[in-house]
Amino acid sequence: MKQKQNRFVTLLREIWKAKYLYLLLIPFLAWLIMFSYVPMSGVVLAFKKFNARLGIWGSEWIGLKHFQRIFITPAAVEAIKNTITLSLQRIFWEFPAPILMALLITELRGDRLKKVYQTIFTFPHFISWVVVSQLLTVLFSDAGGVNMLLSSLGFDKIAFLADGEFFKSMLFITANWKEMGWAAIVYMAAIAGIDPTLYEAASIDGATRLKQIWHITLSSLKPIIAIQFILKVGGIMNAGFSQIFNMRNAAVKSAVQIIDSYIYDITFGAKPDYGFSTAVGLFKSLINFALLLFANWLVGRMTGEKMFSFKKEKVKKEVMK
Amino acid sequence: MRNHLQPRVKNKHKKWTGLDLFTFVVLTLVVIAVLIPFWNAIVISFTTNSAYVDQPFSFWPKEFTWANYILLLENAGGLLIGYKNTIIISVIGTVAGMLVMVMAAYVFSREFPGKRFFFLATIFTMYFGGGLIPTYLNLKSLDLLNTHAGVILLTLCSVYHIIIMKNGFESTPKDLQEAAMIDGATDMTIFWKVMLPLQKPLIATFSLFTFVDLWNDWYWPMLILTDNKKVVLQLYLRTIINSVNSMLEGISVSEDAAALDAFGAGMQMAALLVVILPVMCVYPFLQKYFVKGIMVGSVKM
Repeated sequence: MKQKQNRFVTLLREIWKAKYLYLLLIPFLAWLIMFSYVPMSGVVLAFKKFNARLGIWGSEWIGLKHFQRIFITPAAVEAIKNTITLSLQRIFWEFPAPILMALLITELRGDRLKKVYQTIFTFPHFISWVVVSQLLTVLFSDAGGVNMLLSSLGFDKIAFLADGEFFKSMLFITANWKEMGWAAIVYMAAIAGIDPTLYEAASIDGATRLKQIWHITLSSLKPIIAIQFILKVGGIMNAGFSQIFNMRNAAVKSAVQIIDSYIYDITFGAKPDYGFSTAVGLFKSLINFALLLFANWLVGRMTGEKMFSFKKEKVKKEVMK
Repeated sequence: MRNHLQPRVKNKHKKWTGLDLFTFVVLTLVVIAVLIPFWNAIVISFTTNSAYVDQPFSFWPKEFTWANYILLLENAGGLLIGYKNTIIISVIGTVAGMLVMVMAAYVFSREFPGKRFFFLATIFTMYFGGGLIPTYLNLKSLDLLNTHAGVILLTLCSVYHIIIMKNGFESTPKDLQEAAMIDGATDMTIFWKVMLPLQKPLIATFSLFTFVDLWNDWYWPMLILTDNKKVVLQLYLRTIINSVNSMLEGISVSEDAAALDAFGAGMQMAALLVVILPVMCVYPFLQKYFVKGIMVGSVKM
């Protein structure tokens, strides 16, 4: 009993000691509550028949009806399918590119050249998809530069932006164009941290540079690759809304209709149903969250590296005595 | 076999090997691929529309003209409003956001009762959110629709940035903090007098990130800023692109060629370049700060 009381007093004392820390945290917590947790509580809309007059909390409960509707709405099912296939394709086409790029830049001769190239590679990350989509549309449209070159060389024109399959390849190419250089930095930082004596030892043993890249560089990159992979898998339900929203046109709309763009379309469409839109969004978030937990667990088992752990860290209580 | 005794670093001054050449050629091709769309935009913005339609891709303007830029400036109302609004939002958003984020990042780098709870509650929002409609309705109930304050508040903090800055704070030597504590400094003094000055580079870097994010923001501004006077630069660009596209579709061949000459891809590209110009001008000089920033906390999350 006395021990319990002592612990409580210690806790109070610790809290009092940290009073300024709490004070510094308050603005952020206020923001987090107002702009993350209050909207989050708005997901109850997914279980209600929304009535603008009654508001979120006054509207009538209808249980899981919206969720049942998702699975009998062909457009919604199609959007879910598209999202998953497109994300998997993205992992295949977009995940390895920055790793390769980091390896190549590290091997590039000349520090000046390295710097200039890196500046160029990373720049597109800092312009919006609004801009990028237009830069690329003007090159790849039917009357654009690339098709002009193709036809002047005697080839048929290609409907890069009007054919669903070509458009998807354009998504992968342009996403790499924009983000590859930036994403490579994380790997380059990891490469810079590798112990140089490893390479020296390998040289002495007669390992070629390619072998060194494979056995030392790539194997040292394993943990960071794993972490990046978690982030990718965790984001599988996000198939690149900004890009698709800015690049799509009427001809390819259905081929690249992902969950996010579907939600946008039905929300701002002819007959908006806020409850249903929210239900689709919630469905997406839940799967996303589950995937992230699964990926975190999986990579943790593989490499012993986890992004975050839900288990409590052991605090040395002995010090307190 | 003596060769093998030489460490890898010494290879620097040696002859170019096949691997060196391969690396150079591949990366140079990628550099060209990255630059072409920008160069293409610049060329088109200085080309008359008839020359553009005739030959949409050339390395140099076939018929050089300033007309696209002149037209853009003549109708610059929207552009100037967009510039003004974007600057307001980016500056206020960066200052306010950084203040809140740096304070939070510092607190999370320290130990205190309840840290785990608050930190998990923060991370959780990275992966789970209310979604489009609840967020919109929340803004509406706060009376923030169609206001710049709404845009700023909505994107005020980035949890991702907070985590990286927290790692940055954690990696600073503890001695100074401890010394200050022994001298009787409060956490508040340590934060303002010790940590902030020490972490200036980190704070500068993330201010840049935040600024650019705000500069490029278009999604929520598009949804909540309905008043033409409140539009931001990216929205202005979207309108120009859409209106030029629809105008081009609507114009028949017989119509006044001059109108077509002025409103075309050339003007789109001119508008686009004017929007990214500030970023384009400063990026080469600030690039190293951006890179440093992402390296601070990226290895360990």
